[in-house]
Amino acid sequence: TAMTSQVKPGDRLPQVTLFDGAPNKPVRIDELCAGKSVVIVGVPGAFTPTCHSSHLPGFVADFDKLKAKGVDLVICVAVNDPFVMAAWAGALGSGDKVLMLADSRAEFAKALGMDIDLTAVLGSVRCRRFSMHVVDNVVKSVNAEEDSSKVDASSSCRLLTKI
Amino acid sequence: MMHRLGFCAGQLGSLRLRLAGQLLPARAMSLKVGDKLPAMELVEGPEMKKVNLQELFAGQRSILFGVPGAFTPTCSRVHLPSYVRDYDKLKAKGISQVFCLAVNDPFVMQAWSDANGAEGKVRMLSDTQAIFVEAAGLSLDLSHLLGGLRAKRFVMVIEDGVVKQLDVEPDPTKATCTLADEVLQSL
Repeated sequence: TAMTSQVKPGDRLPQVTLFDGAPNKPVRIDELCAGKSVVIVGVPGAFTPTCHSSHLPGFVADFDKLKAKGVDLVICVAVNDPFVMAAWAGALGSGDKVLMLADSRAEFAKALGMDIDLTAVLGSVRCRRFSMHVVDNVVKSVNAEEDSSKVDASSSCRLLTKI
Repeated sequence: MMHRLGFCAGQLGSLRLRLAGQLLPARAMSLKVGDKLPAMELVEGPEMKKVNLQELFAGQRSILFGVPGAFTPTCSRVHLPSYVRDYDKLKAKGISQVFCLAVNDPFVMQAWSDANGAEGKVRMLSDTQAIFVEAAGLSLDLSHLLGGLRAKRFVMVIEDGVVKQLDVEPDPTKATCTLADEVLQSL
């Protein structure tokens, strides 16, 4: 169970540093999201089956629909190192649609109360599967998957109905 | 270049080095030339196949090399490709199997293998919880860069489960003595 209670509508985004493509490219998530309408997608692991074949592709495919609803930025976060996240972005062809940020030490996942212990399978604490809509750093909706191996509540089409 | 590590042949096995979240010092735990590999289980492939190190290396002349991280610059540009490229030369010198080990989950290892055309040449072992590298004295704390404990850059020649040669790269960001062509010269 997470040490912090799960993020909910009305909460502000935590002031956590993520990494964009390399360990020397830090990004403060709250600075990145300031003044913008942002979708944040959390996933258990880059290249893991569900994340790779259904969850992320949905957001890449629905990018234009999200933009039409005023979303400025779609971010995907996972507890993987920045090189793995960059390679995954390349493999997914997410290009300029989804910004892949590395939550290398699970600080963001923990701050959101979205951490899940997947040590037995993946070797470390990871991020639960969720999608979230944030406007100017204030959380508007959170859709956490009960079962992180599935994509249901956290899908892009479900999120579109909430924006 | 030979790197002499500490003496601990009898203590290898499935010892956990974590106690109440603290890492115990690894100075007494290390693998050296002449030691048998520990009977540890690692994971190979996205099907999460468990493999026992002693069984995997029994009766074969093998190479096991370790890298700090799948998809990291040196590992990807130079280190893994050297083994993929020189695979046939290694086989010609009597090596029957080549393994790459990293503290990465099996899905990341598979994707990295695919990206480097390693299929059928270099097999990927996930030391997902760093149990082997910690026990062997081959772990590297890269928490500040990559988020956790990783493997040092190393290469071993293993004959029938016994370490015959062990080279550890002094600077893990470089690949010199642990490249395939260096190992070829010593075979």
